[in-house]
Amino acid sequence: MMLSRLSTKLPLAPYCRRQCLSLLVPDVVDQGLRLRSAGARRRSTTGASDFFNPTEEHQQLREMVRSFVENEVDPQALQYNREEKFNAEAFKRLGELGLLGVTVAPQYGGSGMDASAACIVHEELSAADPALCLSYLAHSMLFVNNLEQNGSDEQRSRFLPSACEGSTIAGMCMSEPGAGTDVLGMTTKAVPSPDGLSFKIDGAKMWITNGTTDGLTTGDVFLVYARTGPGRQDISMFIVEKGMPGFELGQKIEGKCGMRASMTAELVFDGVEVGRESLVGDENGAMLCMMRNLEIERVTLAAMGVGIARRCIEAMNTYGKERKAFGSPINSFGQIQKHIADSYAEYMAGKHYLYAVAANLDLSSTGNGLDADGTKLYCTTMAKNVADRAMQVLGGYGYCDEYQIERLWRDAKLLEIGGGTLEAHHKNMVRDLAKNMVTLP
Amino acid sequence: MRVMVGVKRVVDYAVKVRIQPDKAGVELKNVKMSMNPFCENAMEEAVKLKETKAASEVIAVSIGPKAAKDTLRTALAMGADRGVHVMTDDAVRTDQGLEPLAVAGLLKKVVEEQKVDLVLLGKQSIDGDCSQTGPMLAGMLGWPQATFAAKVTVVEAGKQLEVERETDTGTQVLSVPLPAVVTADLRLNEPRYATLPNIMKAKKKTVDVLTAADMGVDLKPRTTVIEVVPPPVRQGGVIVESVDELIDKLKTEAGVLQ
Ligand SMILES: Cc1cc2nc3c(=O)[nH]c(=O)nc-3n(C[C@H](O)[C@H](O)[C@H](O)COP(=O)(O)OP(=O)(O)OC[C@H]3O[C@@H](n4cnc5c(N)ncnc54)[C@H](O)[C@@H]3O)c2cc1C
Repeated sequence: MMLSRLSTKLPLAPYCRRQCLSLLVPDVVDQGLRLRSAGARRRSTTGASDFFNPTEEHQQLREMVRSFVENEVDPQALQYNREEKFNAEAFKRLGELGLLGVTVAPQYGGSGMDASAACIVHEELSAADPALCLSYLAHSMLFVNNLEQNGSDEQRSRFLPSACEGSTIAGMCMSEPGAGTDVLGMTTKAVPSPDGLSFKIDGAKMWITNGTTDGLTTGDVFLVYARTGPGRQDISMFIVEKGMPGFELGQKIEGKCGMRASMTAELVFDGVEVGRESLVGDENGAMLCMMRNLEIERVTLAAMGVGIARRCIEAMNTYGKERKAFGSPINSFGQIQKHIADSYAEYMAGKHYLYAVAANLDLSSTGNGLDADGTKLYCTTMAKNVADRAMQVLGGYGYCDEYQIERLWRDAKLLEIGGGTLEAHHKNMVRDLAKNMVTLP
Repeated sequence: MRVMVGVKRVVDYAVKVRIQPDKAGVELKNVKMSMNPFCENAMEEAVKLKETKAASEVIAVSIGPKAAKDTLRTALAMGADRGVHVMTDDAVRTDQGLEPLAVAGLLKKVVEEQKVDLVLLGKQSIDGDCSQTGPMLAGMLGWPQATFAAKVTVVEAGKQLEVERETDTGTQVLSVPLPAVVTADLRLNEPRYATLPNIMKAKKKTVDVLTAADMGVDLKPRTTVIEVVPPPVRQGGVIVESVDELIDKLKTEAGVLQ
């Protein structure tokens, strides 16, 4: 079932094809990469559950997101990438479809689903627009899911409904100009007032996705990790809102290699005073929040890799059949076959690893660190390699942004850095393996 | 006003269909199936009627094998209140073995049992493309019909509709007393996505299952499919230099002008 669906699926199309390049494009490229059908319409859901879609609802979710992506996400990706702009409209649509609160309880405006569902959304969005997906991830996983898991009822009722709806755009601030992988090396501090009723936050956070959406002001609301005690692990988490005195946009980060339609910013905290009600979880207790949320962050970043890989393989497969050289389709050449076959096998391996881990990931606890790191380690490099092969198979067309692969290729690289570098995964995994494992499953 | 919507499971509109090796029909194995696009329009219109409170209840009905349940789930996720699954034999192809006459007969039974005021159907299903089920159902029920609807306005809930319908030369506006059968055209509306919260809510909605063979309707097909073949491959066209050359070719080669 699964395999046949893959093989009958045509790749999504590059839109906005400029006249000049289109003239150069032979028919085969055009046919190979064109949208499934002109004026594609919304498609309804069908089909039963399978390994990648643990229940019928997961299957329906996947098909809903896929058809939304074909109709509304794919057509805008190239333009927003070129302009390095965030598409607020598309983001709002994610809210209307109930995707922003995918893991949040219905009482707070969410859809009450699980880690597998989160992976499905990330995989499908990334197959067309990893940058939009990264903004989605920062909002829905790093802020929304984080607060759902770690916040109080009051905090959830106050911040989640608007975030699930999409009327606020949120993010999470962990990394700093001087501390990334070494997260506990952070220096942003929150000092309690003498009466203990408030905290004053000072410092700067770097690389914050959704840190701004317009390039001029900060994003709407953030979870901010800050040092609250002398111990290395004395970290607490706070909610900081746009407009609070002292909370400023440091800079919008321009010229990123990829993920250009996702806004990244430096945020500055200059004596930002927040009440105790803004403290999420216990004082000095944010390590737990961080650990809980890092697992789903890594798994969904892995899912983004799987989405990128799928799209690239679809493009390679179609193009390989239709493009002729020396009188034969290029997929009759051994080297091209290796690109396509290796990619497919690695994609399937990664995808199975991903959904196996997601199925067992309990969002409210920790304990899947080894495999959360492992899936991200595997699927992100896999995506980068697959995108690279796709570019090779498409030749000159692959190298130009109208044909999508070029963008996916650049976007894939981020996955090896954000949410934990490959080296961080190596370090964590060997620590966990050495500590807990003698014989492997 | 109680509204019933027919939703059919068909080969997805984007699938490039292939013919079975034995030429008995198009290949249905391992092919993506979806709700018939025109049924989506009908479903969307019903949900809108519910939202404007013109409809009190929306019932989705699908006639088909076990898998038609998926299509009903989609209808429920789009906003139907409950479903009725008229189960057919898995061996019967709903694209050609179950004809409009039988489908209309089955729908009539459901309409009568459910006490429906308005039946919304697609103008046709994209597999058989017969466009007969709606008119036949209206005929059997003795109800008015408005086919190819492009716009439906409720004049008085439960009593009177105004339906603008597509014709070859433009649109025609009909005043339709209820109960009635209306079939949807593409322009009627833009079907919504089943949102994630609604997908989750649909899980709790009920689907009654009836067995087609037990409903006292003659399901035997009146036609026999002898052979299904793909259309001939289109020959490449020629570019003509002038209108005169075009007229000449239409006369001498195409033979469509005297
Ligand atoms: C587009 C983008 C979006 C981002 N979004 C967010 C966000 O929303 N919120 C947020 O908090 N952060 C965000 N980040 C930050 C991201 O998580 C960090 O970039 C990442 O954790 C790496 O930190 P660093 O950049 O400071 O690199 P460093 O930690 O300085 O690493 C530099 C190099 O040294 C290696 N290294 C470091 N320590 C070790 C070690 N012990 N052993 C071996 N090698 C080591 C690293 O692997 C890397 O190769 C984002 C980054 C990018 C690029």
